[in-house]
Amino acid sequence: MIAVDIILDGAFAALAGIGFMSISNPPRMAYPAVAILAAVGHSIRYCLMNLGGMPISMACLFAALSIGFLAIPAARVVRCPAETFSFPSLLPMIPGMYAYRTVQAIVKCLQTVDEQQFMHWLYVLAYNGLTALCAIMLMVIGVTVPIFIFKKYSFDVTRDPKK
Amino acid sequence: MEQCMGAATETAEQVSQIHARLKELALFLSDYASELLAVGATSARVEANVGRMADHFGAWADIAIFSRHIIMTVTDRATRHTYSVVGRSRHRPISFLRNSSLSRMSWQVIDKDMTVADARAAFDEIVSKPHANVWMVLVLTSLANMSFCYLFGGDLWAMLVVFLATAVGYCAKICLLDLKMDARGVFVISAFCATIIGCSCFVFRLGSTPEVALGTSVLYLVPGIPFINSISDLIYGHNLCFLSRLTNASVLTVCLSAGFILGLLVMRIGML
Repeated sequence: MIAVDIILDGAFAALAGIGFMSISNPPRMAYPAVAILAAVGHSIRYCLMNLGGMPISMACLFAALSIGFLAIPAARVVRCPAETFSFPSLLPMIPGMYAYRTVQAIVKCLQTVDEQQFMHWLYVLAYNGLTALCAIMLMVIGVTVPIFIFKKYSFDVTRDPKK
Repeated sequence: MEQCMGAATETAEQVSQIHARLKELALFLSDYASELLAVGATSARVEANVGRMADHFGAWADIAIFSRHIIMTVTDRATRHTYSVVGRSRHRPISFLRNSSLSRMSWQVIDKDMTVADARAAFDEIVSKPHANVWMVLVLTSLANMSFCYLFGGDLWAMLVVFLATAVGYCAKICLLDLKMDARGVFVISAFCATIIGCSCFVFRLGSTPEVALGTSVLYLVPGIPFINSISDLIYGHNLCFLSRLTNASVLTVCLSAGFILGLLVMRIGML
């Protein structure tokens, strides 16, 4: 059952990655790469969170590092900059519900006059806002670090092979 | 000292030729850098590509990137003459295809030993290519947001509502952008439309995860790539560019939140 959940998670993450990538007018060659990377990244995060009990922000970091390191050789294959498909592969991992609850808590804080209620919503705001912010920051750091380490290699991938 | 002496012995005609050559190069590199930044390349990539081409043309290029302008200074390696251009930032939708093509072009300039005029022609050809079919993007984005809903634990009803909400909201976005409306206004209206549809699960009591449907319905508008690019710029030490991109992305996020809250107010959903 858990294997089915992981496969479904990966499949929907791949679909989400492809769809969100299409907004950014990608090269056609990048679609399969983003599907694979999004599926692998999201499945890793799913396993780390649900099987390893890791908090979402740390799970995002490790998933993003995996995407980043896989994107470097993939960039050579599809001959596009690594960020062309590694950045869209992160999009399915954006903690959207945390962001939603942050907005919800802001509105509730503004509407509440009762101090206890206000403190509750302030806690919800801080918890969800910080979680979303940390998860996004660590995700981006995770995906950028491999490109930074292999800077020369990743900037050379768009060069046509010498005949 | 030797070079200073050399510069002193240049004739007016030679200086004029060097000036014309540097001007052509600086204008080309400025346009190239502005375009590459506008389509979503990281500042590190812009610097690398521009530096590579400048090197091929026997010059150094230094770029200062500001929120609405860039300053390109080109220095001739042999004579140390310089030329600076202030270029305006371009407003373009993110395009990874153009980013890849322009990056490839920077290598072709070297490998095919292009002149500045050749490079300019190749650049003009790349920027004249149209973007992908927006209606196909609409379908793919709706499917993506529907998948997003599944990943957040939404049921089938929630997924269907999110698909519809995204399609309607994105359609509004396409139409309003065609009318040349300001991007911030487009985000408010598009988020508002998506929220109205996204409330369907609450209004018609569909499924058991109406909150997930509502929360996911506007997520297609989150400017994820600009946010990621901004943090990437921070890592590479381009702090001004980081702040500029972060501010722009944050403004769009505030606009989408405003449209979302407006939609909830109109629909009188329990959250408020």
